[in-house]
Amino acid sequence: MAKTFHLDIIASDKYFFSGECEELVFPGIDGLYGILPGHEPMISCLSSGELRFKIDGEWQNAAVSDGFLEIMPTFVKILADAVERPEDIDRKRAEAAKERAEEQLRQKLSIKQYYHTQAALNRAMNRLRITSKSAK
Amino acid sequence: MANVREIKDRMGSINDIMKITNAMYLISSSKLKKAKKSLEATVPYFDQLQSTIHHILKHTPEFEHVYFDSRSNKPEDKKTYGYIVVTGDKGLCGSYNHNVLKLAEQEMSKHKNTSLFIIGQVGRQYFSRRKVMIDGEFLYTAQNPTLYRARSIAESLTDLYLNEALDEIYVIFTKMITAAKMEPEVIRLLPMERERFKTAAGRTPHHDAVFSPSPEKVMDHLVPNYLKGLLYGVLIEAFSSEQNARMTAMDSATSSAKDMIKELNLLYNRARQAAITQEITEIVSGAKSQQNKKN
Repeated sequence: MAKTFHLDIIASDKYFFSGECEELVFPGIDGLYGILPGHEPMISCLSSGELRFKIDGEWQNAAVSDGFLEIMPTFVKILADAVERPEDIDRKRAEAAKERAEEQLRQKLSIKQYYHTQAALNRAMNRLRITSKSAK
Repeated sequence: MANVREIKDRMGSINDIMKITNAMYLISSSKLKKAKKSLEATVPYFDQLQSTIHHILKHTPEFEHVYFDSRSNKPEDKKTYGYIVVTGDKGLCGSYNHNVLKLAEQEMSKHKNTSLFIIGQVGRQYFSRRKVMIDGEFLYTAQNPTLYRARSIAESLTDLYLNEALDEIYVIFTKMITAAKMEPEVIRLLPMERERFKTAAGRTPHHDAVFSPSPEKVMDHLVPNYLKGLLYGVLIEAFSSEQNARMTAMDSATSSAKDMIKELNLLYNRARQAAITQEITEIVSGAKSQQNKKN
């Protein structure tokens, strides 16, 4: 059995990654999923969180937001709105976004606005979490 | 023959206009460079999005979902068709806006109940002049498309679709085929068609896939995501088409201004020469009459 599978990570604004991968952990809408080579064909959704993938025995991580994946025994395709490496994240910007979202959540909002702000808050918190992790 | 001063004035004003068109040419060419860069960056996402969705749909032949519901139980004259029309915010870009608007009117005339969602100032003004109802709260600019804007457009239209305020949604925009060729195009957003994806990609089919956590949940997430990605691609494509159209229009305006100046220059020289000749004739004949007087 093959030790690796082909991983493509495509963000809406760039081709983030393409190459052989040994293991993948992604945040699904109902929890974390782990993928090994030879996984059964599966379609699933990403929610914002931390994506981790193992290349040549080394774990790499990235912040992802909404998207979906196509998983096949020999390859995995991830299509997401945004994928960022921890070192590319602008902490100041994420902090400002978090504060802005929290501020807005305190006010009366329509349901749609509420979901928007909550999603924005999630994205900001996720970015902050990943950068603080990698800084350690 | 027009007098020398008039021609000179005319040349001056043409020169001024040429400066403006040339500046606009430079501006739009630098904007185009930026737009093209983001277009190139999105193309892989856009292509993969279409082929993956196509792939997914192929594995699920018997699938009932609200986003695939063609509302066939509704009679044709009760159905409402929504059109998103992507125009520019400004004119001076050749036939770019005109072509999109013409196609939009042509499409709208096919159905009885239509509702319009306009992106870009030019389209909004055009339809309000013609007293066509447009959605007043749908205010988006065509400049510098962002994923955020695509998301909010996709969300508001999906809501209208799910409330059955709209039964079919199309988007009309300009597609850049090559740098010199642009064509307006209509794409159906909702309900999704299986047929459209059949031609979208040529990947080899393999075994059925499972959906996790459940097909409904996945589709609930996937379809809005797909629409957002599609709209983002559309906005970027339209924006680069607009810049491209403006660049060509301004380039041809500058070159025709150059031609006009060349022609006027010729006229000016001729008029100047005629004036000099006349002056000389007058002086000579004056001198001659003086001479005649002396004799």
